[in-house]
Amino acid sequence: MRRTDKYRFWFVLAGLVLLHFSVRTKLGDERIAPDFLLLAVLMYTIRAAPGPSSAAGFLVGIIRDAMSPASFGANALAHTLVGYLSSWAKAVFFAENLFVNGCIFFGGTWIRNLIVALASGELKGAPLAWQLLGWSTLQSVLTALAGVLVLLVLGRWLSVRFTDA
Amino acid sequence: MTIEAERYGSRADTLVFLGCLALSVTAMSVPDSWRRPFSQALRQTVLAPLLTLQEETQTLKSSKAHVEAVTAQRDSAMLAATFLPELRSENARLRGLLGLGTRLETGYVPAEVLHESVPTDPLTFLVSAGRRDGVKVLDAVVSPEGLVGVVSAVDEKTSVVATWAHPEFRAAAMAVDGSVYGIVAPHGAEGPGIWLLELQGVPYRSVVPESTLIVSSGLGGVIPRGIPLGTVMGQGVDNEHWERTYLIRPAVHPASVTHVMIITGATAGRGNLRDLFQAEAKSP
Repeated sequence: MRRTDKYRFWFVLAGLVLLHFSVRTKLGDERIAPDFLLLAVLMYTIRAAPGPSSAAGFLVGIIRDAMSPASFGANALAHTLVGYLSSWAKAVFFAENLFVNGCIFFGGTWIRNLIVALASGELKGAPLAWQLLGWSTLQSVLTALAGVLVLLVLGRWLSVRFTDA
Repeated sequence: MTIEAERYGSRADTLVFLGCLALSVTAMSVPDSWRRPFSQALRQTVLAPLLTLQEETQTLKSSKAHVEAVTAQRDSAMLAATFLPELRSENARLRGLLGLGTRLETGYVPAEVLHESVPTDPLTFLVSAGRRDGVKVLDAVVSPEGLVGVVSAVDEKTSVVATWAHPEFRAAAMAVDGSVYGIVAPHGAEGPGIWLLELQGVPYRSVVPESTLIVSSGLGGVIPRGIPLGTVMGQGVDNEHWERTYLIRPAVHPASVTHVMIITGATAGRGNLRDLFQAEAKSP
């Protein structure tokens, strides 16, 4: 593994963050557009240990909370849990498989949306069910597809693993 | 951090995870007065460049939509402007018809010219008034400028008008001052001359000056007396024997009319209609 590979990895993550704040608004409905910021978090967490993954999730979550003060803390909680779980799941499956990664992207997005919806308490009953089964599922699928596309195109740049051991 | 390590889920990881969870729950439970300054600080520091980028993207998106809307509006305005002269002309013509209708008082039927959208005989056209409206064959069809033609066939709701350019059109005519009498007929059966009239049968000793207004004389009782037919352009070249022929510039071109009035017999009985067209007719 060359040292420059690690920089490329961060370069890809920065690119995803920029995509989130630039291209995403042009990708149609806000509720189903791919979440590139979460994708960047998941790209990191599936290659890092659960501790740093939790911390990364918390940081991204608290930053997102700053953009939606009404449900402050909900994103931090959701991203922390998703960061930890995705890192743990990757440790359990431990396969550098495109399908497995796609499933993690899908599940991560859906669980994040579930936790945010429950923790913020803004949706209840039928709207909550519609949000989770409809919009959230669509967004998870599109996010997973975007993640798989990134892995297909830039997979070599992302083939690094960070741990604290 | 190092690369290529394989151990997951150490005690430190669990502690960090629990710490982050605790901080998240704390963030959820802090009062609004604490959240707002913290969120504001994040938005003004870490998030500032990203929010600026997002704002620029939104501006770009809305600008594009705005440009498209403005372009569409400009195109619509240009299209509307294209028809403006025609609308003005039609408006003026309708006002003229209204004036003519007021002067005629009774004995006329207003009708719309039903121009065909496909190539057809240019010497006749259809109007939207028929037998039901009192129209009869050989009724005179006029516009504010003068004679357009005569009704050649009548249906229940529509009529066919043979314009003055039709080869069979003839009208007894005279100079507006009554000094000269003759027969007005189409100048030719084909070519550009078809859109001119000629005054035939003028005695050789009578000279008609250019720009003299020629009106119908009412002889024969088909076309009422005094309806402008056109103005004299000059003498025709094919003078025969002891008579003269004059070229007439028609008072109205059939292609330019959109609405006409069909003069029925009731008005025809009024006598000379010349004064009704006086305002629109060209003076010699």
